Amino acid sequence: MTVVQEQLDSTFAALADPTRRAIVARLARGDATVNELAAPFAMTLPGISKHLKVLERCGLISRTRQAQFRPCHLERAALDSAASWIEESRRVWTERFDKLDEHLRDLQAKPSQDEATQ
Amino acid sequence: MSDSTSAADELVYTRVFDAPRELVFRCMVEPEHLTHFWGPAGVSTPIETIKVDPRPGGRFETVMVNDADGSQYPTRAVFVEIAEPERLVWTEPDSGLITTSTFRDLGGSRTEVSIRQANVPAPYRTPEAQAGFATSLDRFAAYLATLS
Repeated sequence: MTVVQEQLDSTFAALADPTRRAIVARLARGDATVNELAAPFAMTLPGISKHLKVLERCGLISRTRQAQFRPCHLERAALDSAASWIEESRRVWTERFDKLDEHLRDLQAKPSQDEATQ
Repeated sequence: MSDSTSAADELVYTRVFDAPRELVFRCMVEPEHLTHFWGPAGVSTPIETIKVDPRPGGRFETVMVNDADGSQYPTRAVFVEIAEPERLVWTEPDSGLITTSTFRDLGGSRTEVSIRQANVPAPYRTPEAQAGFATSLDRFAAYLATLS
């Protein structure tokens, strides 16, 4: 649980940056080298590399060690776990609200002991 | 009834209830009410598992039980702020998740409840970072939609 949460924290923190989101979006279309990733940005290679290190640390991307240009690869599982956490949280609160709505109707339809003690 | 999210922040859930604010607030802090709605669909929260001590530092614990197979999901939180009947903040020590509930009196016995969840490490808890976080999730969800 804690490890998963830590991973989510770092994933969300990594995605809070617009450049890193753009990198992730680019990698969703296929692997790319640092040079290819840097092309759309007015940024130096070391600047891009810094962003890639952040993404690599939280497990969102991986890089092959042996290949000369070390293409970057998007790790879908890390992205999926962040997305499913959001979906799960949304589902729980939506269903909770549904039940609370029903409960409030019941309470107000027949004055309960609870309200009598007000 | 507006459900779930605002455009600016994927982790804000808002709903309007036809009930006075005091009553809605009490539903969120009293076990005899929580037991009726705390578990999502198909999940119960037995009243004897709900521990609520509504003061800063007080605990907020429940055990949600799956109706189908009996699996248990304990939740453990600590209250940070209690401002009856306007605001309620708790944090989950295991995850660092912070949940802020805001109760707005709309008049005519209607109450808007907003649940805001923040799940970021302490260094990122500045207003600027929060804004970035919210925007990130917003775009992130839009982006994910394009993947499938």
